[in-house]
Amino acid sequence: MQADLKELWRFRELLWAMVERELRIRYKNSFLGFFWSLINPLMTVVVMTLVFKTFLQNSTENYAPYVLSAYLPFMFFNLAVMDSAQSVLVAMPVVKKVYFPREILPLASVLANFIHFLLALVVFFGYLFVVWATTGFQVSPFTWRIGFLPVLLVVSLALTLGTSLIVSALNVFYEDVKYVIGVLLYLAFFMTPIMYFSENVWAAVSKKGPTYEWLYYLYHLNPVAQLATTYKKTLVPPGRIDVGSGLVVDPIAQNWGLFGVTVLVSFGVLVFGYWLFNRMKWKFVERP
Amino acid sequence: MSTPAILVQDLHKEFLLSHSGVGSLKTLALWWKKRELEHLQVLKGLSFEVGRGECVAVVGRNGAGKSTLLSLLARVYLPTTGTVQINGRLAPLLELGAGFHPDLTGLENILFNGMILGLTRKQAMERTADIVAFAELEHHIDSPVRAYSSGMLARLGFSVAVHVDADVLIVDEVLAVGDFAFEEKCYDRIASFRSASGTILFVSHNMDSVRRVADRCLWLKDGKVELAGEPETVIASYENG
Repeated sequence: MQADLKELWRFRELLWAMVERELRIRYKNSFLGFFWSLINPLMTVVVMTLVFKTFLQNSTENYAPYVLSAYLPFMFFNLAVMDSAQSVLVAMPVVKKVYFPREILPLASVLANFIHFLLALVVFFGYLFVVWATTGFQVSPFTWRIGFLPVLLVVSLALTLGTSLIVSALNVFYEDVKYVIGVLLYLAFFMTPIMYFSENVWAAVSKKGPTYEWLYYLYHLNPVAQLATTYKKTLVPPGRIDVGSGLVVDPIAQNWGLFGVTVLVSFGVLVFGYWLFNRMKWKFVERP
Repeated sequence: MSTPAILVQDLHKEFLLSHSGVGSLKTLALWWKKRELEHLQVLKGLSFEVGRGECVAVVGRNGAGKSTLLSLLARVYLPTTGTVQINGRLAPLLELGAGFHPDLTGLENILFNGMILGLTRKQAMERTADIVAFAELEHHIDSPVRAYSSGMLARLGFSVAVHVDADVLIVDEVLAVGDFAFEEKCYDRIASFRSASGTILFVSHNMDSVRRVADRCLWLKDGKVELAGEPETVIASYENG
């Protein structure tokens, strides 16, 4: 594994060139291209806010920023995994003729999406600022918690890289892997606290009685769900959350134990994914 | 002539041949049925070496394992057993325009391909002018490569490969594509590459070009070296049998 990492480092310039190429193709050389790609998350949040605040009469504070703060990281994970699933197959004509570390292909897809995610976060902070300005700069939406963001980004990147390496390697041999992953990601969207909150899960579970509390922990063993919760608590100042049945609660404090599990799982997935990819990469060109 | 440029020892390559199409999760789930896989021995114990500055031609019938050998040298495959050792930087030219992305312009592809072949971004930038000039593509370099003819692709691919300061050049039957003038230019370039003690290994079905540039000839038959030596003698026995 050490030799593989060294080889990857030798080809780092090629990796950057590929990241640049992916971004250039995505933004089609236009500045507006970036904003076009923001329309999807923004429209989603507008519709979700309409549904929850107006149709379902939910009174949660900061609802729209809360949703956006979890939806952007989720979309990063989603798009990066789906892009990298195809990355090796698309590059097969090159892979068959020239040597270069094959892991560059999924890594470039992930990194391009990561840069896109960072840009989207800048827009997110701009949005918070605008909302703050419209309230006459009363309560600042920027808290000390934002300082935790870099750690969160590193963990998300590790989880995404690991998952992408696994998916892209398997997809070379079993081309239906990407369809299965597509369905799983769609389901993961609902099993992740994006349009609702981990407090909703807690309220639902504790209503059933203390013997069911383990379900809440089980739910958060999914690293994507735990990351969404942590993004919300990091990026948005705590607002009271409407958990239904006329109950409005204060947000639950960040559970560091659960977050620690997510950190371990994320880096575990990264190491396993890198190992698996390197084990399989020489067979890509001679798949039967 | 201390260490050889290419050292191949007891090289074996075996492929798995499937008769049931591309893999899917279904075939994985049905693995208890044992997929119909055929083991195909392509290279059966190949050993040879190419000295620094030498130019070696590989000849042989279709299916003798020539392309597999070149792919192994280019590190596209791993050997099943045996070793391949290359001392110095390698530039493979296995297929014209492989590694070119059809939607990018010629210029972007030069940068990209140069970096795949081991140049830094800076080096690649510095050499684009030379590469374009050699390929005679000044007027087309800003159009996407998908609009190129096969001759243009050949020129661009060849031009990139000879401008990356490779020590070893591996060529798979590509010199035949350009027109006569360009072919002459390629031979000139190869001559100057060799006088700078560059090593070449190439596959060809064109015996004239083998006679013209090769110092030595390797006849591959059924995954083994049938005969190696002077081009004239090897070609004579190859053509007779």
